[in-house]
Amino acid sequence: MNSYIKIKNTEATLGGKVKDLDATANGFSIVIRDLVKKYEDVTAVDGVDLEIRQGELFSLLGPNGAGKTTTINILSGIVEPTKGTAVVGGYDVRKGLNLVKTIIGVCPQEAAVFQFLNARENIELFGNLHAIPKTVLKERTDRLLDTLDLREASRRKAKTYSGGMLRKLNLIIALIGDPQIAFLDEPTVGMDPRARRATWEFIRSLKNENRTIILTTHYIEEAEALSDRVGIIDYGKLIELGTPKHLMAKHETKNLEEVFLKITGRRILEGI
Amino acid sequence: MGLKKLIRQPAYLFLMLLFPAVLTLMFGLAFGDPEFGMDINNLVPGLISYACIFIIMTIAQSFSAERQEGLLRRMNTTPMTASEFMGSHIITNMVIAILQVVEISILALLIGFRPDSGWEGVILALPVAALFSLSSVGLGLITATISKTPEAATGVSFVFILPQMFFGTFIPLTNTTRQIAAFIPSYYMVDALTLIFRGDWTNPSILFDVGVISIVSVIIVTIGILLFRKYGNI
Repeated sequence: MNSYIKIKNTEATLGGKVKDLDATANGFSIVIRDLVKKYEDVTAVDGVDLEIRQGELFSLLGPNGAGKTTTINILSGIVEPTKGTAVVGGYDVRKGLNLVKTIIGVCPQEAAVFQFLNARENIELFGNLHAIPKTVLKERTDRLLDTLDLREASRRKAKTYSGGMLRKLNLIIALIGDPQIAFLDEPTVGMDPRARRATWEFIRSLKNENRTIILTTHYIEEAEALSDRVGIIDYGKLIELGTPKHLMAKHETKNLEEVFLKITGRRILEGI
Repeated sequence: MGLKKLIRQPAYLFLMLLFPAVLTLMFGLAFGDPEFGMDINNLVPGLISYACIFIIMTIAQSFSAERQEGLLRRMNTTPMTASEFMGSHIITNMVIAILQVVEISILALLIGFRPDSGWEGVILALPVAALFSLSSVGLGLITATISKTPEAATGVSFVFILPQMFFGTFIPLTNTTRQIAAFIPSYYMVDALTLIFRGDWTNPSILFDVGVISIVSVIIVTIGILLFRKYGNI
């Protein structure tokens, strides 16, 4: 089953901006219909249909170049789709992108931070871009630095950080705007096992706050441990969708990694 | 915060504040002597313009570095609009230009700068430098659009810096080079500042120069913003 409820692409204007009232009413944070992204002769995303509920932790898995990051880039407004619709938090990304940006937080694959600023200054800079009041920003910064165990190093320039610390800062910046929907693209790459487990707990706590989390990861055990549902994407197509348990039962495997290898094995064997 | 992120980087700090200081002291002490046929009063307009021209390089380097490090992409996912983003860079660089005028004037004062206009001339030079900095922001954005990396941006920025150096700032103009200089924004900047520091405020050439600087700067910065948004932002 790759959809909960078939919704109509009905659009209405709300405050002068386009809002998909059906998607919001049905409790979906994200609704994607026939999404296509082409780069010249390469189709990075090829007709993806998907709904993600509010408060759901959804993992998008796939081999390198499968279309995961492109999908996230479309949903966060970085890349325009070639065809299809993407509704995020009730707003169409083509017509209501400014509103989409007020409710999302994006943790990119690379640690995109200002290396010559310290952690607090980086967080403050991005907090200002979200127009967060000063007192709220300080309180939120302290809380996130404490939670991710980065407070002690928060006055050090980011260029002196280890890979794992940069990842934590990357994650904090994504969450400083208190987003309803968070896109976490490989958030734990480069972290040691202890930091990774702590980050898992943190990601779980975000879900418990009823935020929608869209996670992409190459650590399949991470997806298995955290996700409500998993989508496997390959050659730009969503080829499998369901809960980890459902997928393991369907493919008669002991863990999600075996499911992943079974489904995407052809590509891996081809060495692509 | 825009200013802070520039000042924290040694290379940008050098270009923005130390470079004009070094330039003022070196040129002032080396050439600012009537024995050379020059004096510091005549050098200051060129020094101010020269410092503002180097904003091209800081803008080009910082935008291409932020693009390369994924920071522009990341900032694109925040509620900040493109106009707010560009506006903050423009204001930051106008502030830098104003600081440079103050810095150069104070240092030049220490080595004999005595404008006929008095300090009123220096105050009048502030908005002119801020206006001129717009053209440097625009040329910096064009450079960042063309350049793939910050290193390339450094090299490419000289395409816009050198003509402004040779045809408008330091080198005395001949009849031929004056015709070329008519198309170079820094020529009008130096001319305007020279007249302002002479206290020749009723001279209509000042209005003409400032008018040209304003129009050319707005055109260049608009072209820079449009090109960067279309081709240079990702």
